[in-house]
Amino acid sequence: MSIATPRAAGSVRRPRLSKRRRQEALWFYLFVSPWIIGFLVFLLGPMLSSLYLSMTDWDSFTPAKWVGFDNYKTLLTKDPVFWKALWNTCYYAAISVPLSLLLGLWFANLLNKQIRGRKLFRTLIYLPTLVPLVATAMIFKIVLAPHGPLNQLLGLFGIEGPDWLLEEAWVKPALVVLSVWGAGSATVLFLAAMRGIPRELYEAAEVDGAGPVRQFWSITVPQLTPIIFFNLVMGLIAAFQVFSQVYVITGPNLRGGPNYASTTVVMLLFDQAFSFFHMGYASAISWLLFLVILGFTIAAFQTARRWVFYESEVK
Amino acid sequence: MTSDGARVTRRGFLGMGAAAAGIITLTACGADSGGGSGKSGPLAMTVWGGEPDRVTYQKRLDLLVAKYPELSVKLQIIPSDAYAQKVQTMIAGGSGPDIMEVAENVNSYSSRSQLLPLDDRIKAAGIDMTKSFGSIGSIYSYKNQTYAVPDRSGAEIVYYNKTLFTKAGLTPPTADWTWQDAENALKALTVPGKQWGYGGAAWWPSWWSFAYQNGGKIIDPATGKPTVNSPEVVEALAWVGGLMAKGYIPTKQEYADMGADVGGDQAFASGKVAVNTTGFWAIANLLKTDVEWDIAPMWRGKQQAVSAFGSGLSISRTSKNPDAAFKAIAFLTSAEAQKVIIDTGQDVPASIEVQTSDAFLKPSWVTKTVDMKAFGDSSAFVYRAPFIAEWNEMQKAIDNVTANFWLGKQDAKSTLDALQKQLETIIKPAS
Repeated sequence: MSIATPRAAGSVRRPRLSKRRRQEALWFYLFVSPWIIGFLVFLLGPMLSSLYLSMTDWDSFTPAKWVGFDNYKTLLTKDPVFWKALWNTCYYAAISVPLSLLLGLWFANLLNKQIRGRKLFRTLIYLPTLVPLVATAMIFKIVLAPHGPLNQLLGLFGIEGPDWLLEEAWVKPALVVLSVWGAGSATVLFLAAMRGIPRELYEAAEVDGAGPVRQFWSITVPQLTPIIFFNLVMGLIAAFQVFSQVYVITGPNLRGGPNYASTTVVMLLFDQAFSFFHMGYASAISWLLFLVILGFTIAAFQTARRWVFYESEVK
Repeated sequence: MTSDGARVTRRGFLGMGAAAAGIITLTACGADSGGGSGKSGPLAMTVWGGEPDRVTYQKRLDLLVAKYPELSVKLQIIPSDAYAQKVQTMIAGGSGPDIMEVAENVNSYSSRSQLLPLDDRIKAAGIDMTKSFGSIGSIYSYKNQTYAVPDRSGAEIVYYNKTLFTKAGLTPPTADWTWQDAENALKALTVPGKQWGYGGAAWWPSWWSFAYQNGGKIIDPATGKPTVNSPEVVEALAWVGGLMAKGYIPTKQEYADMGADVGGDQAFASGKVAVNTTGFWAIANLLKTDVEWDIAPMWRGKQQAVSAFGSGLSISRTSKNPDAAFKAIAFLTSAEAQKVIIDTGQDVPASIEVQTSDAFLKPSWVTKTVDMKAFGDSSAFVYRAPFIAEWNEMQKAIDNVTANFWLGKQDAKSTLDALQKQLETIIKPAS
């Protein structure tokens, strides 16, 4: 970079580049161009056009009509479904993200122990992540049936399971259950990080008389905080954009239902854009969602200073 | 290259990239670029469905080409789930189909001027819509203009299990059955927890049929305003609610336990449900089962009314050759080409002439005795369903707001009050 951009703008006379450097710069742009073009065409371009569209009334057929902030006003003041969708999405994110982190951490800790067949267990834990999401959702539809396997299991303990996907109160917990199914991907990252923690730390702790629990909380967890943080941010972003599994598991008749209880923000966006022909309105939804995600991500970064520990960091 | 080649390269490069990005973005999302291949290319026709549908449409197109060798049509079959999005994208991209299959949401397109009004062409071709298609002749019109010619149209009919009816000592259902007659029969056919009288009416065509039988309306045709919480509609929904509460209809839980996505159609085919109201498509599957069954027209309330399922053929705004497209539509909806629809067992052809012909009453593929006359008889009292421009939104609202009612957790009145409120925010009355 610094070679290709000699000094900042402002200096009128630029020093000439040698032939070699010119060539080097050319190669640099040549190699970076796939990304730049991809970014401009597939990200920045659509983003800007959707920002414009969010200020229009556009049905995707007839020319867009400029309406200023009307779409945002309607969304925030007159559309009860949007608020419900936002609440559903927050509910889902607030439970599924921490739950997946805790489970991932727990599984990783178990799999880090010297036990028989741990390679097999590691494979098994990661396996669900390899099954396509749609297939998993289809299977969960059967698992979550009123007298399906899950409720039968609960029945063994004398618990009468709810009608997971049919009831307003239970459809979101059902989606959380489905999200936990994918905890394996976090587990793998945690496990890799755990194996990178220097043994000396544990040995020293042992000498000082710390038990396994104390070791876990005082060594393992602090050493893992960068990975926990990474998983938290990625998990938040993914959870706020949850769509496919909801689309499949609640479809085809109660898609987003019952009574909008599983309508997530992206679900609403999809319907508005591709079923109701409100492309402008849908664009406004996408920008509001973007702001919400941005807000939560910034919040996560703000708090990170207090609890994320980087070994190489000098404070 | 000049001496300050590096700078030119960098700036030029970024500029070029930005320009390219702009152009690509614009053309991808952008307005309809007219242009195109001119009149010579084949007509593009989009329909939804699966392999059997493809076969039927293709056979009809083969007949078309045999008659008009100068026409050629390229058939594009799209899975039903993805049809609307696919067509939307095609039209928005300026390369919409010439001939386009439409159904209940036809006015999502026509209200946005995405379809060509066909009245002048229909008149010029001398097609008598009422004579050809009966009460549904003008079903695909918006603000007094016709946007599609009916192609397939079958009323919802009553499937009944003959064995269970005989066992219960009942005579087959008829179009003259009142709600009370129907309820008595459904009661007699129910064995609690094992067998149910009726497959249910949670899908809009079924409970709307009862609402219209009771003199109710979902949308008032005069004002364009929703009227779902009128006493007539409430009474009709409450009647269905009563059938559920009395255990004549499997609950959602009982259905869910029969397997993933099992509904009335599958439960009827396995003999667990004695009466089911649905469309023509159930016949083909039922022929393969051991259940003894037959069909009858829908029973009646204060008046006769029943929903119909169907589709029409329209011409999209982006068609490059609307004249040829209409010529094709006129032929495809004529009795000659419509006969194929029943010969292959795809659906009920919209043509009244074919519906009352021997080809329809005794199709060769129907291996059992089936009273096919039920369809023609029903045609007389198919009500005009409100195909409003906001159809998809209305359906979404109905599915969501009535969900608790179908679980037996909410009564008809409060459900429909909530639905009315929701629909009022969605539907802007036609001005």
